[in-house]
Amino acid sequence: MEVEVDEKDLRSAGAELLTDGRRGLRISVWEIESRNRSILTSLALQQWEQNLQTCHLPEMIFGESCLVLKHVGSGTKIHFNAFDALAGWKQEGLPPVEVPAAAKWKFRSKPFQQVILDYDYTFTTPYCGSETVELDADKRESGEISGGSSGLHWEDCEEQLDVAALALKEPILFYDEVVLYEDELADNGVSLLTVKVRVMPSSWFLLLRFWLRVDGVLMRLRDTRMHCVFDESANPVILRERCWREGTFQALSANGYPTDSASYSDPSIISQRLPVIMHQTQKLRVPGNL
Amino acid sequence: MGANPSPTDSTTDLDEQISQLMQCKPLSEQQVRALCDKAKEILMEESNVQPVKSPVTICGDIHGQFHDLAELFRIGGKCPDTNYLFMGDYVDRGYYSVETVTLLVALKVRYPQRITILRGNHESRQITQVYGFYDECLRKYGSANVWKIFTDLFDYFPLTALVESEIFCLHGGLSPSIETLDNIRNFDRVQEVPHEGPMCDLLWSDPDDRCGWGISPRGAGYTFGQDISEQFNHTNSLKLIARAHQLVMDGFNWAHEQKVVTIFSAPNYCYRCGNMASILEVDDCQSHTFIQFEPAPRRGEPDVTRRTPDYFL
Repeated sequence: MEVEVDEKDLRSAGAELLTDGRRGLRISVWEIESRNRSILTSLALQQWEQNLQTCHLPEMIFGESCLVLKHVGSGTKIHFNAFDALAGWKQEGLPPVEVPAAAKWKFRSKPFQQVILDYDYTFTTPYCGSETVELDADKRESGEISGGSSGLHWEDCEEQLDVAALALKEPILFYDEVVLYEDELADNGVSLLTVKVRVMPSSWFLLLRFWLRVDGVLMRLRDTRMHCVFDESANPVILRERCWREGTFQALSANGYPTDSASYSDPSIISQRLPVIMHQTQKLRVPGNL
Repeated sequence: MGANPSPTDSTTDLDEQISQLMQCKPLSEQQVRALCDKAKEILMEESNVQPVKSPVTICGDIHGQFHDLAELFRIGGKCPDTNYLFMGDYVDRGYYSVETVTLLVALKVRYPQRITILRGNHESRQITQVYGFYDECLRKYGSANVWKIFTDLFDYFPLTALVESEIFCLHGGLSPSIETLDNIRNFDRVQEVPHEGPMCDLLWSDPDDRCGWGISPRGAGYTFGQDISEQFNHTNSLKLIARAHQLVMDGFNWAHEQKVVTIFSAPNYCYRCGNMASILEVDDCQSHTFIQFEPAPRRGEPDVTRRTPDYFL
């Protein structure tokens, strides 16, 4: 399970791994922890259906899995979980995407009592992470506080991710990938939300990625990257870049790219082929110690 | 039991192939070709609604998880000591589609009366090119020949089975174009799974909490409600519809007030879901017992929970 980490690298970076079976580490002013668990039980699934007011959820929800980055001094937590992401899906409520076979189905004689189901089965979400502040000393969580009320505010900015710094082969002190949810679209493609994190001596960096491929129709990639450089100031700054790409198989074909689904199994290889439809960079100044 | 009293050379060969496959070692292309030729002769004689006697153990999706299939045989009993009915989806997703499907086909050829292998929606040319089996054949044999041999054979797999005239077994579910089992008996199944129509529905549709027929927001694919299952079971004097096709956390899941059950036999699906698998034992008196099981302890299998750090950007 555990990826080998060089003890020396950890020590010289002033980092220490979490104990008691927890995965993660403490470094600088941060405590970073990941959890990979099973998919929801049928009972928990029913509860989620109620809470999210839907009877259509992804086949595989890793509801207890998460990534949490906590600023120890202020109790500010940046975290990633399936529930908030699905709440975002529910709220965005995109219209359904028809698969190629749908054209043939239109000519089919309709049975008596046919209901056309109408929900976004692709589970496309605008989710870009959650923020919470643990207010009390006894670690009672304040719940999901968004934007202003938590005192956390992402503001638009001109800075860009420091790709050169991120390309440096610093030792990786901690690495993990957490799948939040996944659906096979009944074998019509894939819908997958994952978050990857790597922690180096000088910074942490993460990528939250929603990846959708509806075979023969379209692909969507909604990436959120966050980078935080360690300094000992009381107010660390997190830079967040959101980049959405989307393209149809038809457009790929017009540009001379292959259109078989097997060529599009790894989004990191083909992302450049999909046009950018939204790009935004923002920063968050973590409030001082409380 | 089913063993031949004076084993001929060909059954000896077959027994050797089966024991090789049980160790997760694939056959040569030539052996696969000869095996599939024999399997085709057996399968083409089977009905679209293949009659099956009890006792029998009914299994759901396997998806190339060979070591879990071996675990299934340890728990359910070896073939031919136990009779088996598999409801499709042998290939794709897992690492050992080749070994899994070859083993099941070899058992079918060796013990044709003891094992029934139905067609799932993954036993198709189109689906296997996207979800793994095609690539695995290329990797393990250096060409697509073995993929071609198997996918040609899949066309002959029966679509449904009927246990003691009471339990109707199939991969997906019901179709608005099918009212009676005779409707199914009458169509020509030897073809690639079509995108639309009754044969497609049998391999793709899902039960749902909503009554009537639901059409998926994808614009293709049906769901069927409890009223539909009740009517179908009544018309055809059935007690139960057993089907596979959907991942269920506990390995089995009742629907429609026990008129329909979903069985899923790939534990820890895709090596990360943490779900249980199950099989359904139907005894001589047609009473049934679910047996749940967890993933087999692995030896030397790539551990996908181990994540290799990479400098992603």
